[in-house]
This record gives sequence, C-alpha cells and structure tokens, in this order.
Amino acid sequence: MTEMAQRRELEQAVPLTALFTAFLAVSLYGVGGGSGIVWARRIAVEKRGWISDREFADIVSLCQFMPGPNIVGIAVCVGAKMRGTIGTIAAVSGFLVIPWAIGFSVGLLFLEYAHAPVLRNILSGIAAAAAGLLIATGIRLLLPHRRRPALLFAGLAFGLITFARLPLLAVLFVLVPLSIALAAIEKARAR
Amino acid sequence: MSDPSAPLALTTHLALVSSISFGGFPTVLPDVRNFVVGTHGWMTDQDFANIFAMAQSIPGPNMILMMSFVGWKVWGFPGAVASAFATFGPPCMIYFASYRLWDRFGDAPWQQIVRLGLIPVIMGLVIASGTVMARAADTSWPAVALTIAAAAITLTTRLSPMWMLLVGGALGGLGLL
Repeated sequence: MTEMAQRRELEQAVPLTALFTAFLAVSLYGVGGGSGIVWARRIAVEKRGWISDREFADIVSLCQFMPGPNIVGIAVCVGAKMRGTIGTIAAVSGFLVIPWAIGFSVGLLFLEYAHAPVLRNILSGIAAAAAGLLIATGIRLLLPHRRRPALLFAGLAFGLITFARLPLLAVLFVLVPLSIALAAIEKARAR
Repeated sequence: MSDPSAPLALTTHLALVSSISFGGFPTVLPDVRNFVVGTHGWMTDQDFANIFAMAQSIPGPNMILMMSFVGWKVWGFPGAVASAFATFGPPCMIYFASYRLWDRFGDAPWQQIVRLGLIPVIMGLVIASGTVMARAADTSWPAVALTIAAAAITLTTRLSPMWMLLVGGALGGLGLL
C-alpha cells in the first residue's frame, strides 16, 4: 500500500521536460532500425527508474502487437503512464520534433555523399555493434521467464523469423494464441 | 508530381497503411513502394532504395523520416511534413487508446495470462530482428565477433551502449571489419 503511494508520488513528480529529453535521447541514440528499444530500456528502466523491466516488457509486447512504428509506441505508453495525455504529447514530441528536423537536413546532405566508402564502413561497423545490442536486450527481457516452458515459444518465434523467414504477422498470429494457452495451463497448475 | 491531387493521395494512403502496419512500418514498405513507384511513378526504384538505405543509417525515427523523403519528392517541404504526420499520427492514437485499456484492467487474472504468453514470443522476435540485422551487417568474421562482443558486454555490464557503437564505428572507419 505504501509502495503504491510512493509510486503515485513518483509518477506525479516526473516533469514533462524530463519525458521530452529522455525520448529525445532515445531517438537520437537509436541508429538503424530496431535499436531504439535498446535505448528506451536503458533510459526509462536503468537510468531514470520510471518503470520496471516487467512493465517495459509489457509495453514492448503491447506495441509490437499494434500497427505503426513500435518505438513511438513506447514513447506513447511511457508518457501516458507517467503523466497521462500531456505526458504522451511530451514524450512523443521529444521523440519526433528535433530528431526529425536533424534527420531531414542530414538526410538531404547524405543523399549526396552516400557513396563515400569511409562513411559506408563506419555505418556498417555501427550496424554490427547495434545488432549485438538488440540481441542482448531481447535476452535480458527474457531472463525472468527462463524457467518457464513458454521459453519454447521464444525459440520458435526466433527460428521461424531467422531461419524459415516467415512473415512477422503470420508468426505472431500462430504463436501468440498457443503461447497464451500454455500460460493459462501453467497458471491453472500452479493454483 | 504534376497532378495537384498527388499530395492528398499520398497522405491518405500513408495514413491508411500506417493504421494497419502491424509489426512495424517495415511490413508495409512493399505496399508503399508499389504505390509511389508502380501505381503513380512519382520516383524510380533506385530513388526508393536510396531513401531506404539513408533512413536506416541516420539517427532518429527512421521510418517516419523515410516517408518524409517520399513526401518531399512528391510535394516538397509541405509534403514531407504531411507524410510524417500521416505515418505516426494514426498509430499514436491507437497506441494511446490500447494502453489506456490495458492499464485499466490492471492485474486482472486474464491479463497476467496474456502477458505471460505474449512476452516470450515478442522477445524471441526482438532477438530475431537483432540476428537478421547482424546477418546484413556482419560481412566478415571480425564484424561477427564485434556483434557477439557487444551482446556479451551489454548482458554482463551496465556500460553505456554508446561505447559499443563508437567502437563499432571506429573499427569500421579504420577498415578493420
């Protein structure tokens, strides 16, 4: 109960500017598709302590299941959790406005020099490291579930996308109902 | 580009596909390509590929930026802004509504079951997208080693991911990968 009250206080206390700058950082650090989740976790969970790993995994799951750019979804959900509608607007503006302006200007320049080999090499080095970060974030969020039989579905999802190269939507709609059914059985047994 | 209704057609189409882009915007990219290159001929395949490569390698909301460049090609700066809004606006509203709904049911038993079922699958997908990215990026053994090292260091320490990206960029720039 007191823990709940403390939670509420923390949620009240998060200033809109903090939401704005946090998601500005998530946006600017996230180079290449997908790695935004690495930074969103690093900043919202590790550095600011706004949400727990469990809540973060929840939000990522929810966003993955909805249409649209998933990382923007994380900004929407964390903003909504901390400060409601206005929090969402602060987090989403932080995520989009400045990075969009920078990215748009850099992009226009970049199209001119995209063929330069040094630039290409630097980018591929960054991409190799970013891939490793993404893998590590997925593993870390799976750790609390490592003793559950449902881990099988993590392996299946991984294999069907990586090796069988099935479309994401097909994988989601086949595996998710099965995985939820298994979770229901686990829950019934535990009772 | 000569057709005055082009900006409206593009914005409407982007708002529509962004509302059904389950699993992220990359899943509807083939559809957008057909629309702007095939159906309307606003740009060439080469233009589209260049815009994609660029959007992938600059920081920031890359799919929104990519659609802004498509809008830019069709209608200049206003087109870029309109395309950006069409790409993130509808999904943001859907996220907000569904998060509110999810939050309201708090710790209902069914929600815990859904959560326990959903998380392993989604995290398998996250690891898979890391692996798919690695397959594209790791064209040599040192690059594979870099990917593995970055993953291992992230799992075992709290070192900022920025260091890994800087080292990756430096090694790449020196031609060591």
